[in-house]
Amino acid sequence: MSEGPLVVVDHLSRHFTLTESRPGFWGSVTGLFSRATSVRRAVDDISFSLEAGEFVGYVGENGAGKSTTIKMLTGILVPTSGTVRVGGLVPWESRRENSRQIGVVFGQRSQLWWDLPVRESFDLLRSIFRVPEGRFRENLAELDDALELSPLLATPVRKLSLGQRMRCDLAAAFLHDPKILFLDEPTIGLDLIAKDHVRSFLKRINQTRRTTIVLTTHDMDDIEALCERIVILDEGKIVYDGATESLKRRYVREKGVVVEFHGDPGVVTLPDLPTVRVEGEGAKRRFSVPVDSVGVATVIAAVAARFAVKDISIHEPKVGEVVKRIYDDPASLTRPEPGP
Amino acid sequence: MTGALAHFGPRRRVYPSFFAKAFQRELAYKFEYFIGVFNGLLFMFIFTSLWEAVYAGPTAATGGTAFTREGIITYAVYAMLVRISMTQEESGIPAKVRSGEIAMDMIKPVNYMLMTLAETGGGTLFHWVTRVAPIFAVALFAFDAWPPSDPLNWLMLGVSWVFGYLIFFYLNFAFALLAFWFVETFSFQLMKFGLFTLFAGGIVPIDFFPDWLQPVIAFLPFPSIIYVPTALFIGHIPAAEAGSLIGVQVAWTVGLGLLCRVMWGMGQRKLIVQGG
Ligand SMILES: Nc1ncnc2c1ncn2[C@@H]1O[C@H](COP(=O)(O)OP(=O)(O)OP(=O)(O)O)[C@@H](O)[C@H]1O
Ligand SMILES: [Mg+2]
Repeated sequence: MSEGPLVVVDHLSRHFTLTESRPGFWGSVTGLFSRATSVRRAVDDISFSLEAGEFVGYVGENGAGKSTTIKMLTGILVPTSGTVRVGGLVPWESRRENSRQIGVVFGQRSQLWWDLPVRESFDLLRSIFRVPEGRFRENLAELDDALELSPLLATPVRKLSLGQRMRCDLAAAFLHDPKILFLDEPTIGLDLIAKDHVRSFLKRINQTRRTTIVLTTHDMDDIEALCERIVILDEGKIVYDGATESLKRRYVREKGVVVEFHGDPGVVTLPDLPTVRVEGEGAKRRFSVPVDSVGVATVIAAVAARFAVKDISIHEPKVGEVVKRIYDDPASLTRPEPGP
Repeated sequence: MTGALAHFGPRRRVYPSFFAKAFQRELAYKFEYFIGVFNGLLFMFIFTSLWEAVYAGPTAATGGTAFTREGIITYAVYAMLVRISMTQEESGIPAKVRSGEIAMDMIKPVNYMLMTLAETGGGTLFHWVTRVAPIFAVALFAFDAWPPSDPLNWLMLGVSWVFGYLIFFYLNFAFALLAFWFVETFSFQLMKFGLFTLFAGGIVPIDFFPDWLQPVIAFLPFPSIIYVPTALFIGHIPAAEAGSLIGVQVAWTVGLGLLCRVMWGMGQRKLIVQGG
């Protein structure tokens, strides 16, 4: 293998030309001769790279350009400009070779054969990808374990429920030991238990096999649970690319400490810690701790020293809240520190 | 390992697998083939009746062709059989492009054209067993059209059928690929269907077209599909001409095959995978 990153995306753009159809009959007629066209920059000059073994969340609002990017990375869409290298290959120039080293799930589609039992589909994939016998059985056993496939194998794909089909499609993407998995909304339609299984499966293969995974999802809990790195896309441009943790740290200046007391303590103040706000009433109060200046432990110690505490829980900020704020106001990322 | 997983046999070769799976897939729709047999016989009945009527008049309208009444009935029966034996499901490319489903084929390391050919072949074999064979059996008695006994005729049929089939496949594939460039391909499909129906020889032998038109038709790939195999088989065209006619078939096969390759290569860059 060559050194350097496994995936390199360099000034990648994909524009779509939209022909605007005018309304009404005369609109259609004049449209035959002259058409107003406009250009949509679905992906607009993005660059990033992935190291082997990374688990990256690729997020953005509807229409941000996530699927368009994945299509180019998997070699099924040619960009308007820019280059991509996946394991040294330009995907759309070496589509077939590239497809051997990647696994792909497009959540709303299936790569299985509609009329065939799942088992037959897997069998075909094994032939297509020339998976060695032993490897195939090992992978299948592991997949069966994680995704509970056995009961589904004899069923034709068209008779599976959405969640069952999704599990089979995930398995299908992994049968040939891809170096990289591109997952475009692989958890839509999964119930909570299946989602949990999928998450732990992905986590496990990422850790034990060092499979690089790019995950597109609108479920921020997926990102929170899995992705150490997050790339946020807005209108075709990357607005954030970095560790999920530091994104949180950057945005979140407060943590919540919820304390349950034995009985109503009345007025609660922490004279030594004037920057800590106290909210709520009765036996349960919430302390908002500005993490830059005050440690959570200090607050807990101060509270416990003055009151009879029954229970304490700490509320870490969620990625979802942060990302929501970025969607609302992408410029906030580039603004210098906001005032207090 | 659980019992369910133990079911997998040894790994098989790719394209033969596509062939086999396509055959198997057809089995899922059992009702289809009864209808297919019925339709085939119905059409055979209609066309033979038409020719009977044409030839029954006081002034037999042979159109100046070499076809006798028996000859044209035999032609009609075997042309229909050849036509049914070549039945090809629409490859579905336009629909797949429209829905974006094509993406799921393109993420696999397969030669798309070969895959489609293998799947088409699997479907065709299925039709042989479930349609061609029963229709042939019934037609033998119902229409009094015994096949020639000379093995040479069967050999000529075998060879020219294969090339006719490939030409038909490549034509279908090339027209389907137009979907990579044009959103709407219905009018192209209609055109293909029209040309095929008129000039392939499935309904009317080429001999019946006006003299000025026949050389034009000869320059099209369509007669190679049904007319040539049928006419060689029933002895309407003497065996001496088989070599050159099959030569023309080979040329069309190669030419259209290359065209499809080039179109696929260019179309891939043009294709906009929809959806997601
Ligand atoms: N074939 C196409 N023709 C024209 N515009 C397109 C086409 N495909 C995508 N677009 C536009 O490009 C933009 C990005 O689309 P894309 O599918 O990549 O979004 P996405 O980030 O995957 O969104 P979602 O979360 O809704 O799946 C959208 O504005 C979309 O309308
Ligand atoms: Mg999408």
